Amino acid sequence: MLKNLAIFFMNDPRNRQYTNGEITVFWKPAKCIHATTCFRELLEVFNPGRRPWVNMEGAPTRRIIEVVNKCPTQALTWKYNSELSQDEQASSRHEPVVKDEETPKTLAVSEEKFIPVRIQIMKNGPIVVEGEFRIIGPEDNELKTMRMTSFCRCGNSGSMPFCDGTHRKVDFKDQ
Amino acid sequence: MSDHNAEFKIFQGGPLKVTGNFQIVDTRGKEIEIKGPVYLCRCGGSGNKPFCDGTHRTRKFSG
Repeated sequence: MLKNLAIFFMNDPRNRQYTNGEITVFWKPAKCIHATTCFRELLEVFNPGRRPWVNMEGAPTRRIIEVVNKCPTQALTWKYNSELSQDEQASSRHEPVVKDEETPKTLAVSEEKFIPVRIQIMKNGPIVVEGEFRIIGPEDNELKTMRMTSFCRCGNSGSMPFCDGTHRKVDFKDQ
Repeated sequence: MSDHNAEFKIFQGGPLKVTGNFQIVDTRGKEIEIKGPVYLCRCGGSGNKPFCDGTHRTRKFSG
């Protein structure tokens, strides 16, 4: 069963991989829970508003590894190119398929203003927000203008006010 | 409908206040009918999730 699941994730046609010649980053959208750690930490590399959404030239290898390691679900993983399997090497030589690439929100970012922001309460998880919105800090200071994020709802995130996946560790429940 | 984009205000040790133009969908994917600003629980302890009910004070939530 576990093996079948692993094969499912490996063979998912939406999976993508990106390389800078030194390392390869693997993207498995089926595993993403929208904790948004990747693009909050390193927008230069992980930008859901761009196609392809991963730009391996946006930061040094060390920094990319650091942020990929923080992905709470292993939707993003990485390997040194010297450690790639033959299949993985074959895929790495191909240019990423851009037209049907799935990003963390399957987004079609619109340039229109005043699109209603969509707030989704995730079961036993964060508040996921999509759209064009501003975040205001406790001192009435504007923190950020964003298009997608997830706010912590369990009270235990290590990167407040945003979700960092801790809700799973503390077994946060809605009821 | 408000005429400005949604704003999320973080209250230190308290809820998340949402104003402006937004729609909110519950854990079952159903849209919640809302008029005016909403206060969403951030401390994890509300008895009226996803909304704030003031429990953060008794839990001494500081986030």
